[in-house]
Amino acid sequence: MENQKFYYDNKIVKLFIKATIIWGITAVTVGLLIAFQLAYPAYNFGLEFTTFGRMRPLHTNAVIFAFVGNAIFAGVYYSMQKLLKARMFSDVLSKIHFWGWQLIILLAAITFTLGISTSKEYAELEWPIDILITIVWVVFGWNMIGTIVKRRVQHIYAAIWWYLASFLGVAILHVVNSFELPVSLFKSYSIYAGAQDAVVQWWYGHNAVAFFLTTPFLGLMYYYLPKAANRPIYSYKLSIIHFWSLIFLYMWAGPHHLLYQALPDWAQALGVTFSIMLIAPSWGGMINGLLTLRGAWDKVRDSAVLKFFVVAVTAYGMSTFEGPMMSLKNVNQITHFTDWTIAHVHIAGMGWNAGLIFGMLYWMIPRLYKTKLYSEKLANTHFWIATLAILVYAIPLYWAAVTQWLMWREYTPEGFLAYPNFLETLTHILPMYTVRIVGGTLFLIGFLIMMYNLYKTMKSGSVEDNEAAEAPAFVSEGPRNPLKETVHRWMERKIVKFSIWVFIALVIGGAVEIIPMIFIKSNVPTIAAVTPYTPLELEGRDIYVSEGCHTCHSQVVRPFRWETDRYGEYSKIGEFVYDHPYQWGSRRTGPDLARAGYVGGPMYKNAAWHYNHFMNPQKMNEQSIMPNYAWFAKKELNLNLVPKKIRAMQTLRVPYAEGFDEIAVDDLLKQAKGIVADLKSSNIEIEPTKQMVAMIAYLHKLGGDIAPSVVEVGESSTETIEDIKLLTGEEDLNAAREIFTQTCVVCHGADGKGIATFPDLTDDEWISGDSPLNVYQSISNGKITKGMVPYKDTYSEKQIIQLTSYILLKLNSDEDSK
Amino acid sequence: MKIVSNMLENIEGIQIYYIIGLLIFFTLFVVMFVRTMKKPNNEMTEIKNSILIDTDSDELSTSEI
Repeated sequence: MENQKFYYDNKIVKLFIKATIIWGITAVTVGLLIAFQLAYPAYNFGLEFTTFGRMRPLHTNAVIFAFVGNAIFAGVYYSMQKLLKARMFSDVLSKIHFWGWQLIILLAAITFTLGISTSKEYAELEWPIDILITIVWVVFGWNMIGTIVKRRVQHIYAAIWWYLASFLGVAILHVVNSFELPVSLFKSYSIYAGAQDAVVQWWYGHNAVAFFLTTPFLGLMYYYLPKAANRPIYSYKLSIIHFWSLIFLYMWAGPHHLLYQALPDWAQALGVTFSIMLIAPSWGGMINGLLTLRGAWDKVRDSAVLKFFVVAVTAYGMSTFEGPMMSLKNVNQITHFTDWTIAHVHIAGMGWNAGLIFGMLYWMIPRLYKTKLYSEKLANTHFWIATLAILVYAIPLYWAAVTQWLMWREYTPEGFLAYPNFLETLTHILPMYTVRIVGGTLFLIGFLIMMYNLYKTMKSGSVEDNEAAEAPAFVSEGPRNPLKETVHRWMERKIVKFSIWVFIALVIGGAVEIIPMIFIKSNVPTIAAVTPYTPLELEGRDIYVSEGCHTCHSQVVRPFRWETDRYGEYSKIGEFVYDHPYQWGSRRTGPDLARAGYVGGPMYKNAAWHYNHFMNPQKMNEQSIMPNYAWFAKKELNLNLVPKKIRAMQTLRVPYAEGFDEIAVDDLLKQAKGIVADLKSSNIEIEPTKQMVAMIAYLHKLGGDIAPSVVEVGESSTETIEDIKLLTGEEDLNAAREIFTQTCVVCHGADGKGIATFPDLTDDEWISGDSPLNVYQSISNGKITKGMVPYKDTYSEKQIIQLTSYILLKLNSDEDSK
Repeated sequence: MKIVSNMLENIEGIQIYYIIGLLIFFTLFVVMFVRTMKKPNNEMTEIKNSILIDTDSDELSTSEI
């Protein structure tokens, strides 16, 4: 058969490689910045543009879509051309793909920094960029499928099955999850609400891990590992079995991110079941990868490429065992909302994804530039630093997770939470956050070493942008001969049929999961008391969403005693029916806020407290790691958008009265003036149209609909105790001092003189009297309208007497403090 | 779409759907597993080796520094 001459397009591969390295360094640097912010809040720099809530999505998106994304495209464009013995289908499509993707990344960086975000994890980009992603992704798929169609080989090798599944999977996920109703160029509302939104989001989120961070990498593994080891893949049969099993099963597992949360049991069971089953196909891939090195382990000793591949595949195996284990409900209660998830993600990200990318770059660049790697020693140094970095990063976080979880659920012998102040459980793990910074720094150092090594390698060679090659022309084998060809082998040369079967395997899981949640009303029972957000609350919610508050504060209380005692009533599915999008979060770096508006509940704080806390959290408690949000008091609400937002909500079936959009601004101002008056009674002056007022309104809405009224709380909290005797023992006073410094300092300050507008406990002015019984009752029953939380359900009677004694005998009688 | 949503709203016993899905998967998995394992090994070897036949598959080499 006559050979055909053609040219590989190496230029596009080169461009994607360079983008991978540049964005990789950027992504890791931003990661390091947010690690610093979590340990030392000063690194938020007091600027709205650099707060953790905005930087965190920048880090995750930069890692996933900029670093990993460009690496996938570099690896796919290089290997596809070689495997299919064909140049990419269209140079124009390749260029549109490359520059379009870089534009998306740039827009993401700009919009996140400006606080433009939908808050849906790994899908935070607003609607115009979502459309751009769709277009660029279609261009990528078009180019890929076009190349497959014009190939010069009969059968499509296993690596390309994974590329194809990745393209189809991401396309389905992105389109379904991105259904949103635009209000302006930079603002939209998810068409899904509450629990439905949560299911769709984690169907997407979990499968973004699957079809962006797993399946394309398995494809890369199937190409680059055999090439680097110069040995064929261990088992092609295993590759067939684990390919179909994995792409089918992954799509069902999303609800394991929502265990014990406001979701029907059947959906949770579905997530758990399929997550456990995922171990089998995942380990099929790991086994196939590691056993490919049979007889080649001597090469691993010297080759940094193979070392990176071994760590990558091992990390894949570890993560895909750990993930299903984390999906077991009893394990999930430890791992969810703690740093375990962060450690898990980074084992996979730094080990599996980055490891495979590093190995691939070290292998591919010398071949592309027709030269030798500048330094194998530097590459090996990079390997050991990167591997050490993973351990230094992850181990402290596992430790932190278990420590914090144990503290959350610890009770005193009297039956009260041992650590009722959330901050106590956080400050305890801050040393681990400092160690995490060391891990991140090591990883960045390794990355910089690689960049230098690859730069020197590139300088020593040159890329042939159009590399000449030849291969026999493609001649179709025609219809299947059952005697000579198995069905799968036949499908491997039938791209359309193969794609259809992949599509079917992908959509079944998603359909079973999502359709019942959206269409079957019994899955989302409503609560009559729950009302839509007022225009002011909606404005506050939009700010909360765009600032990424959910990255630290969850809004869902799980049905555990240690959660309901700390936060209040557990969350019900019907509470979230007007939440576009939902805000349950996935990590509690700060306390849950689902009951922040539950007057009389343990999480309620009055307007003055919120104002002072936003202005300077460290002034309220110097150990707090929350960034300040002082600009809330300066920035204006955009009142022009209010009627549009109400109309958008009406379109999404939120039951505002007909014509409400016309009076929405008046309604907003009326409510805002009430909050302004409240703040004024605490000597705080603010205009009603400032963002601060909307944020306070929103926080006071949370959980408020299902809370008993203030009157009921007051009536039920009548104390029966008639008199108390102050305790003078050192032991009692020391115990009280400890409680005071953990809890009371937030409002009254360490010296008891009161922060901002909160009462001074050292002077002679007492709102409810200064007798021991008066003080005891103030602590026990609180003063809800003044922001004083009732502590009778948090501390025992003895502890409250200790506190009373400490306040009256130590703080109020200390002449120095007056 | 109204017809679809009306129909879906009235589905009873949706909670057993995932069990049915599980059974379908297991059935297909067993079929696929058996058929794949019955494939001739020589065909597999040919496919596996096919990607190594090009100039990129040289032994690894570096300029030692």
